[in-house]
Order: sequence, then C-alpha cells, then structure tokens
Amino acid sequence: MYLFWQECKMNVKMLLIWAFCVGGLSLGCLCLYDSVAESMGEMSEAFANMGVFSEALGMDKMGIGTLEGYYAVEICILISLGGAMFAAMLGAGMVAKEEEGHTCEFLNALPLGRGRIIGEKYAAMTALLVVFHGICVVFSLAGFAWMGSMPDLEHFAGYHGTAFLMCLEIGTVCFLLSALRSRKPLGPAIGLAVLLYLLDLFSRVVPALEKLKVMNPFSYSNGADIFSGVKSPEGSWAVGAAVTILALGLASWGYGKRDLV
Amino acid sequence: MEAIKGRAEREEKGMASAIETRNLTKNYGKNRGIRNVNLTVEAGDIFGYLGPNGAGKSTSIRCLLGMIHPTSGEAYVLGKSVGREQTEILKRVGYMPSEAFFYPAMRVDEVIRYAAKVRGLDCGDEAKRLCDRLEVDGKKKIGQLSLGNRKKVGIVCALQHKPDLVIMDEPTSGLDPLMQEAFFELLTERNREGATCFLSSHVLQEVKQYCRHAGIIRDGELVKVESVENLTKTNLRRIKVIVPEEAWESLGERLSRLEGTAELTQRGEEITFSYRGEMARLLKALEGVEVRDLLIAEPSLEEVFLHFYD
Repeated sequence: MYLFWQECKMNVKMLLIWAFCVGGLSLGCLCLYDSVAESMGEMSEAFANMGVFSEALGMDKMGIGTLEGYYAVEICILISLGGAMFAAMLGAGMVAKEEEGHTCEFLNALPLGRGRIIGEKYAAMTALLVVFHGICVVFSLAGFAWMGSMPDLEHFAGYHGTAFLMCLEIGTVCFLLSALRSRKPLGPAIGLAVLLYLLDLFSRVVPALEKLKVMNPFSYSNGADIFSGVKSPEGSWAVGAAVTILALGLASWGYGKRDLV
Repeated sequence: MEAIKGRAEREEKGMASAIETRNLTKNYGKNRGIRNVNLTVEAGDIFGYLGPNGAGKSTSIRCLLGMIHPTSGEAYVLGKSVGREQTEILKRVGYMPSEAFFYPAMRVDEVIRYAAKVRGLDCGDEAKRLCDRLEVDGKKKIGQLSLGNRKKVGIVCALQHKPDLVIMDEPTSGLDPLMQEAFFELLTERNREGATCFLSSHVLQEVKQYCRHAGIIRDGELVKVESVENLTKTNLRRIKVIVPEEAWESLGERLSRLEGTAELTQRGEEITFSYRGEMARLLKALEGVEVRDLLIAEPSLEEVFLHFYD
C-alpha cells in the first residue's frame, strides 16, 4: 500500500485547502445565519414565488427562513459544487501527472503492475474524498452546534453520503480521462463538474431536459430534495453506480493497454 | 573467482540469456520505432547499446520494461515473457531512465526508501553504501537537485535491491568524470557478483572500456551485434603516408584508383586515407614511391560506429 499512502501524502495539501475552504465557508455561512435571519424570512417568501428560479434552487420545497432550510438550499450547493470541483481536479491529476511530470518511468519500473497502480491510486482518491467530506461534515456540525440547533441527522447524513457518492462518480470519470491521457485534463474535468451542475439546474426547470436528471449525479445529491424528503429520480442511483464502475473498469483497461511516454 | 561463482549461480538458475528479443517491432506510424530487432544479451554480460538520438534505443528498452507494447515480435527478460510476466521481471530488474525524474516534493532518502519498500525489501544498508560511494545527500529535496544528482539517486534506486539485470539508459550523461568512474566501479562490482548490465550510450569510449559486447542500432534496426573487441577488428585501416612533395600528385592518383580507398586527404607531407582491402595491393600501389613514413592503424570504435552510420 506504499503507493496508496504516497498518493495520499502528495495530495494532502490540495485536500486541506479545498476542505478548509468549502468547510470553512459552510461554517461561516451557518454562523452568519442569525445576522441575516430577518432578511432571510422575507427573501424566502420572495424566492418561493419566483417560479422556475426557486424550482431550480429547490426553494419551492424548502424555505430558507429556517436554519435547516438555509443549509439545504444555500450551503449544500456550496458543498456539492466545491466537492465536485475538488473531485474533478483530484481525479484528473491522479494518473496523468506521472507522465506530465516524467515520473512514469520511475513508477512503472517498480514491480507493481499497471492494475495495482490504478487500484492504489483509485483507493487513494476515494480515501481523500472521504476525508474531504468528513471535514465538511465536522465544519457543518460545528456551525449547527454554534447556532444551537442541530439538523435532522438522517437527512444530514443522507445528504453528505450522496454528496460523497456524487463526488466519487465525477472523480471516477475524471480519473478515467486521466488514465487515458498523458497530460492532466484539468480543463475538461472542471468543465465536466460545472456542466453537470448547470445541467441539473436546467433539467429542474426545463421539462424537455427532465430525462437528463437520471444521468446526472447532482440530481440524487440535491440538498433541498433530501432535506425535504423528495426521492431522487428513479434509476439515478443505478446509473450513477454503473457510470462509476464502468469508468473505473475502462480506466484500468485503457491504462493497461496504453503506451506510456 | 567471484565471476566464476556468479556464472555458476546463473547456470544453476538455468538462465542462458538475460535478454532475448525475436523480431521485436514497434511501429509509431510515420515516426520511427524499431523494426525486427533480434537481440540476445547473455547472462553476466555488460552490453553496450549504441545509436544516435532517435535510433530506437529507448524504445527498445521501454518495450523490455513493458512500458510500451510492441506491435509484433516477442521479448524475454531473465527467461520470462515481457508483458505476460512483467511484474516478475521487474522484481529482478534495476532500471534507470535517461532523464531520472522523481517526485520533486520528496526528499532523496524518501524516494530511495519508497523504491525499496514498494519491492517489499529493506535495502537500507545497501542504499547507504551506494549513497556514500556516490556522495548522495539523502536530506535534500528532489526538486533542488541537478540532473547529475538526480542521476545518482536513480543509480541508487536501480542498484540497491541487487537486481539480476541492470538496464540503464544513457547512465553517465550529466555525471562528472569522478562520478562516472565511481558509477562504473559499482557496475563492474555488481557484474562480478553475477548481474547482467545493459547500457544504452552515446559515449563510445565507455562502451569500449567497460562493455564486452555491443549492439548498434540505426533507424530502428539492429545493424550489428558483436564483441567490442571484434567490432574494431575489421579489415578497415586508417593509413597515413609521408612522402616528399614531388611524389604527392602521382601517389594521389594511384591511391584514388585503388579499390577500397576512401576519405583521401593531403595536408603538408601527409597523405591520409582509409583503406579496406588486401594489404598486398596497397603495398604494390606504394611501390617506387619514396615513402618516408607509413602508419597503418586499426580504426577506433568511433570510426566503426560512424561506418555503420554512413
């Protein structure tokens, strides 16, 4: 497991920066709730009547007049989008950085085998995502505790669990891109994360795009849906699992077949 | 004595050749790769792999290490099939790439320990011995090292687990002359203990000095594999004749008509040329000329090398 630990160590700085930024933002926003609570009540009413805009952000289901509603609608977006971008960057760099940094010959001359290289790198990516979400959970719970009101723990755990799976799915797709390329595909990876988020927004307001929901990992990890008890689109879990497994399988197969330069 | 012991160990293990390729081909489309390379490196040999940039040296090595997949042909390293038994091969191989890149944020001793631990070995003592011999500072960050110092780290990583086969791609580029000497001392020590060494190089002098056999690759094709001694034993000779001024013209004419003569030049009293043919015919061409001095020399490895590239 030396490669696993090595990967964790090499990415720990990026992990801490992202986790403390996203988690810190979550904590900060929760702590600031009291000072904006009054205006939140008015805004909540206004937003609830803004038609498609409120649907897109889930404000038709949850009001931001309560701390939990505020967390579900506002902060979960931050965590989901920040987490998705972190997962995309992490996945994109995992394998391709070896060829880009010319360390690929050193690594591949060690008796690991390409399957084990992919396996340990993927395990490291998964572990880093777990730690990222763990830090976000700790910051969020600290925020709730500071405010003296804890969220519904089932909903809270449900959201963070699905947000982790969403990040894992996006990270795995970017990991696949990384395994197939000799340069880190950072642009396409971040682009993919943002595009999926925007597609989720659009598919919530444009009926013609509703079918896209099932393919979008943001659809089953929407904070407002989870905290308001709305079920995720049917089949979205299966599609998410299939995409993750397929992407990992393709990454392993593609990396095994590739010529390393 | 050690060489005999090493050979006996190899025979016991049933290893006839350390590297064997059969029609090994890597096609890069328009770019040159390697074509039908048939190479055998006997166990216990120090083999020099010569060729200019882009000839296919690194491609051959990367094929042997499983980093690139050959288009056709087969390769065996230490009796195991390249590709199918790659991990088994890599356990017994020490490789140093030509550029020797490592993770810049790591310290030298971390990289060396990492390379050993991944193999499941504790090579601390051997690594320390190698670091002392090569004057490697383990506490420095990789990112602070020059190419030469990175190369030294690469040598330690490649040798610390005492591999049966050492493959090094241009090992001395970037090393100062003292370190080059220290490196070859280490390599010959390892060879005496039984390791096979396969070095790709541009430096003909080091191949001549340390290698027993050499292969010359040109445009992706292996054009010659021979013992270094035999490589220079060709019927090609460098000739220098010193004659008086009045004899220049007639001798020049005779030599230019003589079959096997090339690179004929005249400077001062000296006429120099290369000659490939029967010595009796050359001496006959010199008959009747007042020869003040005559020097006939075997070609250097450089000249043999260039001959294969002409």
